[in-house]
Amino acid sequence: MDISSVQKLCIDLISSAVQRCRLSEDLCRLSVVLKSSPPIIRVSISDTGTGSCLEEFQDLKCNREGIGTEKWDGLLSIKTTSISDNKIYHYHLNLRGSVSARRLTRLPSILKNDAKFSGTEVCLSISETIDALLNDIKHYFQKMLILKIPSVAAELVIERGDASGLRCQNVFLPNECSPLNFSSSNVERLKSGLEEYVLKHRNSLNNKCDSCFCSREKLKISSGVARSMESHRSPGLIVEAVIAISEHSESLCFRSSGNKTEVLHFKDFSPSSVSIASLNALTSIDWRSYGLTLVSAVDQVDHALIEWESLPPYLHIDMVIHCYHKQVITFPGKCKYQPDRHLIKKGVKLALDDLKEKHTGLLLSAHAVKICSYAPDLASSIAGIILSSNDVKFRSKCSLLLELSQSQEIGKQTVEDRIKEKIISVIETNDRKPEKIKEAAPFLFEDDRPQDLDPADLYLEEHEGGDDVFSFPD
Amino acid sequence: MEGIRSSTRSRDLLRKIKEFTLSILEDLSEGLSPLIFIQSFRTYCTNLDLICSCRSNQPSGHEILTFQKESHVHRIDVLLRVLLIVQQLLQENKHASKRDIYYMHPLIFSDQSVVDRAINDICILLQCSRHNLNVVSVGNGLVMGWLRFFEAGRKFDCINSPNTAHTVPVLVEDVKDLVSAALYILVVEKESVFQRLENDKFCSKNRCIVITGRGYPDVPTRRFLRLLVDKLCLPVYCLVDCDPYGFDILATYRFGSMQMAYDAKFLRVPQIQWLGAFPSDSENYDLPKQCLLPLTIEDKRKTEAMLQRCYLHQEVPDWRSELELMLQRGTKFEIEALSVHSLSFLSEVYIPGKIQEIKSICQV
Repeated sequence: MDISSVQKLCIDLISSAVQRCRLSEDLCRLSVVLKSSPPIIRVSISDTGTGSCLEEFQDLKCNREGIGTEKWDGLLSIKTTSISDNKIYHYHLNLRGSVSARRLTRLPSILKNDAKFSGTEVCLSISETIDALLNDIKHYFQKMLILKIPSVAAELVIERGDASGLRCQNVFLPNECSPLNFSSSNVERLKSGLEEYVLKHRNSLNNKCDSCFCSREKLKISSGVARSMESHRSPGLIVEAVIAISEHSESLCFRSSGNKTEVLHFKDFSPSSVSIASLNALTSIDWRSYGLTLVSAVDQVDHALIEWESLPPYLHIDMVIHCYHKQVITFPGKCKYQPDRHLIKKGVKLALDDLKEKHTGLLLSAHAVKICSYAPDLASSIAGIILSSNDVKFRSKCSLLLELSQSQEIGKQTVEDRIKEKIISVIETNDRKPEKIKEAAPFLFEDDRPQDLDPADLYLEEHEGGDDVFSFPD
Repeated sequence: MEGIRSSTRSRDLLRKIKEFTLSILEDLSEGLSPLIFIQSFRTYCTNLDLICSCRSNQPSGHEILTFQKESHVHRIDVLLRVLLIVQQLLQENKHASKRDIYYMHPLIFSDQSVVDRAINDICILLQCSRHNLNVVSVGNGLVMGWLRFFEAGRKFDCINSPNTAHTVPVLVEDVKDLVSAALYILVVEKESVFQRLENDKFCSKNRCIVITGRGYPDVPTRRFLRLLVDKLCLPVYCLVDCDPYGFDILATYRFGSMQMAYDAKFLRVPQIQWLGAFPSDSENYDLPKQCLLPLTIEDKRKTEAMLQRCYLHQEVPDWRSELELMLQRGTKFEIEALSVHSLSFLSEVYIPGKIQEIKSICQV
């Protein structure tokens, strides 16, 4: 518990830095520097976003109870300036101090001398192994890449103060695998981010895997955006859902996580935990109309894990859900408004429908699959009627309609296959239409509903002669 | 019956089959789900408030089969398979029975009733009768009496031996040179009664034709009866057991069956009269109590359901009164019960007496 709190504290600080960068309209740099002189790590998080105000840091106080004093002394050293300030303000904040005691210590400001910039630097010292912290931060940044926030360039610098004196640097830039310009919408970025994430086998590789994804068509991506209404009581919320379906015909690197899907969650441009609303939304979707059966949806802290009953082999589904406020807010922690289950459900459904719309035959509902199973039989009978007819003109008219060559030597198999193709395509197209259109055609005559008939009247089996009183031949 | 030569009819039907297939292909090539309209027919309804149109021979509505419902797709699948077989029968001028068709794909068809329904659907779609599709069945009915005809070259001379039974011809179209000296036609429900009459040499003493469907009458029997009535213009009397099933058989002869509702206008005999047995006969003919059997729960349910049929209110209210009396009394009896007085009571007393009664009513 203690351990994760320290990491969480650092992550929260980085997250605030990201928000500040987003608020600023310029390109920003975010640096996290870890100077390790065992057993102490000096963490420095600096950004060139808008200046911060002290309330941000006061809020951190509530979560810090869990951290033992041996891990962190509660001191934060903050330097911050806004673009309009002519000084850099420097504070020491002691979050462990009691309420009215002097928690805030102002230190002398540094003059900016007419230079125009803004930014914040937060430093703290913690007692922790560097590797655990490093993993978490790296993980965080990798997830952030999925969002592809355009204006933030992040770097992670590690200085090991041990014998080797190594200094290494990781840079996290949104990579441009697909063209994205500055004006791409958030959801376009999210799509691109998820695409890269999947192509790199969920960030286990540095570059996309060419053996599994040699052609672009192997990966099918769609998105859905659901917006809630803005009112004076609740801010406008947006839920973006992106779904990626990958099909590998043969895969060398494919690990057998086949029947499970990790649903990554983001809240206000930061990786977040899974909310109950989100789990409820996922379990309440009618997956059968997309040909899927959900076994369970479980919260695994940083992602939700969905288990499917059975997926076609080599098919893998990835999903990401991002909920955020329409207006950029500086204190995400303070936000009381959560997207409700309906908004999240709507977003995911829009993404699923988009996928079906763009790719015929994908995510066919269980109902459509059942009907498609009749296609070979239907095709065989129709082909039989055509080919066994005496009428040559009729046969050639049919060949014309089926776009087959007019020559006499068309095999039964060819005709059958062509008809089967057309039937399946019609069924798949009908499967895409929204549910409303699938209502039965209204009865033209009032009396059309089948009356309650005496069952003995209908379709009785024929019996042989014999029993003469109650035989029902017809 | 339709007055059209069978070869023209076959060509007509083959053309309709081709048109039907082309329309399906056209829909598929435009990416649309084919829609198959099948009209529905019925011989009665249970809506007693309105004056219904059940007797008008018009369809009472229609169904639209599409590829969107699984039950429809199964029905279309069976229909197409049977249609393929029918096309082959028509082209090769061969005949098959419904049972034969069932055995061609027993796994797909799973049940005879599935084939029967497909055949009916096809008849409605192509607007023809079942025999036009070359689907025939061996007739189950028997006929004897003052009748002579040729069937496919063979002579059936019942006039020379009026008490010899012959099977009803399978195809009414094959019946030629129908000649009769009969004064009426008697339809009996059961083979046992038919045999009783045969044994008693009923036709020697009465100039009539006796016919039985041996239970619910099949299509060849009904068509043959219809032919006799149309050609000979004789009165028709029907003798059934005094129980719900007997009554249902009478109704089938008179109004047609629901199963063959689409062809009812060619199969029913509206002139048929109910000779007996009536519930009131049990007193009038002194039937001892042991001959009266109680109506079972099934019998009562069936009787109540039949009483809801529109034609019992609109066309034959007198039949309804007898049926209500049967239900009230809660008893039923078979025709054979009339033999309690003597074996030949039926042939010598009951039937001639009843016919005399009807004739005298008509003369009034």
